[in-house]
Amino acid sequence: MLPVERIIGEEGLESSAEGLRLAMRLPWYRSLPFSTVEVEAVSIDGEAVDLAGAEVEHDGKRWALAEQGEETDRFWFVRDSSFLILPGRNLPAGTEHEVSLTLNISPPYIPGMKRFNHQTAKLSVN
Amino acid sequence: MTNATGPQVGVTLYSFTNEWLTRQFDLPGLMHEVARRGLGPNIEIIGFQSFKDFPDVSDDTAARFKDVLAETGLNPISLAINSDRFMKPGQQPIPDDMLVEYHKRQLRSAAKLGFPIARSQFALPPHLLPDLAPYAEDLGIVMGVEVHAPMCWGHPAVQAYAEMYDKLGSPALGWIPDFSGTSSRIPESMLDAARKAGAQESLIDLLKEIWPEPGMSHEKAGKLRERALAAGHAPAHIQAASLAFFILANNDPKSWAHMVDRTVHIHGKFYGVDDNGQEEAIDYETILPLFRDGGFKGTIVSEWEGHAYDARDAFEQVRRHQAMCRRIFAEG
Repeated sequence: MLPVERIIGEEGLESSAEGLRLAMRLPWYRSLPFSTVEVEAVSIDGEAVDLAGAEVEHDGKRWALAEQGEETDRFWFVRDSSFLILPGRNLPAGTEHEVSLTLNISPPYIPGMKRFNHQTAKLSVN
Repeated sequence: MTNATGPQVGVTLYSFTNEWLTRQFDLPGLMHEVARRGLGPNIEIIGFQSFKDFPDVSDDTAARFKDVLAETGLNPISLAINSDRFMKPGQQPIPDDMLVEYHKRQLRSAAKLGFPIARSQFALPPHLLPDLAPYAEDLGIVMGVEVHAPMCWGHPAVQAYAEMYDKLGSPALGWIPDFSGTSSRIPESMLDAARKAGAQESLIDLLKEIWPEPGMSHEKAGKLRERALAAGHAPAHIQAASLAFFILANNDPKSWAHMVDRTVHIHGKFYGVDDNGQEEAIDYETILPLFRDGGFKGTIVSEWEGHAYDARDAFEQVRRHQAMCRRIFAEG
């Protein structure tokens, strides 16, 4: 896998009182406005996760995934991870899980281009 | 050796995208590495790649950047800005006044950071240039649009810009050629990457047959997909093979001659320079003399794009590319 293809972040998967927190990387060479980033699907151990209540966190700010399409002036700094928060879900620390993420981007200077990205990784819960 | 009054060489930090994404360097660290290896002093930076607070860099960011320039002796030549007109996928582009303001924010950042040139893109419609040219002039910045694959001289978007440039006559506007549009062949390293991804030789042969045909890149990509699917190739292998349609095109290398006069800066796009100092896909021996002999006095920054498909040592590739450019410039 090339660095530009990586979408599951180095910080992996964390479980806390508020839910699961999955690190994500932006599969592009430059920062993009979050409005052009689509978190399409997540599955854990083969089971699709309902993303209806999911939130996204980047650089100390947080918003609802469902409203991400409006975030035209908030940029994902390409060298940093963002985090997908899944409220109400927990996994025991130290257990291993197969996590799949589908994350698509539409670079805003290339009309009509959509790049599809999918990655599966075995992650140990922090 | 480069003539002091002729074209200069440099590097865009985009060449080190793999090293950047894998966090091997932060910005000061990468700049020090470039200087230590003698790959400067002239550098281009993509604002949205290297500066966290882009498009509006803070005074603090600018001050820290200038400190690193002083430490390393690097010379900021060009800041790549982005013409992000399509902020909401599948919806209408953002309004013109917003797009103009978006460019002004980035031009202000370029000025603050000390870059004399800003690279823009064709997603900025030419009818907005009358709003931006005087602004760039006031800031003392030259804004060059990047002529990238599949475009070259003769493309309708390039002609529309040329007409507006003639009308405005502004010294703040120009071209930034990117040689991807005049590749004479698909780089062998790119084909090898497709093979490694699982593409069979029959799919590679099909790609080599369709890629040089006349027509639009996306149509040729569609043709490859259709024929390859019919022949039983896997979609993932077809995607790997299709990269060639999206990042390079085979327009006439000599067509750059039409653009030399208004060229303000050059992206020395390349994929791999071999042990004999030859680029895999782009005929530098044909292209660079056009600029050298045409009086171009700006900088060509080495832009290694092999990172889009493999993980070779970018620093070594840039060293080889700069040596090749210096050799050709010195032959004049």
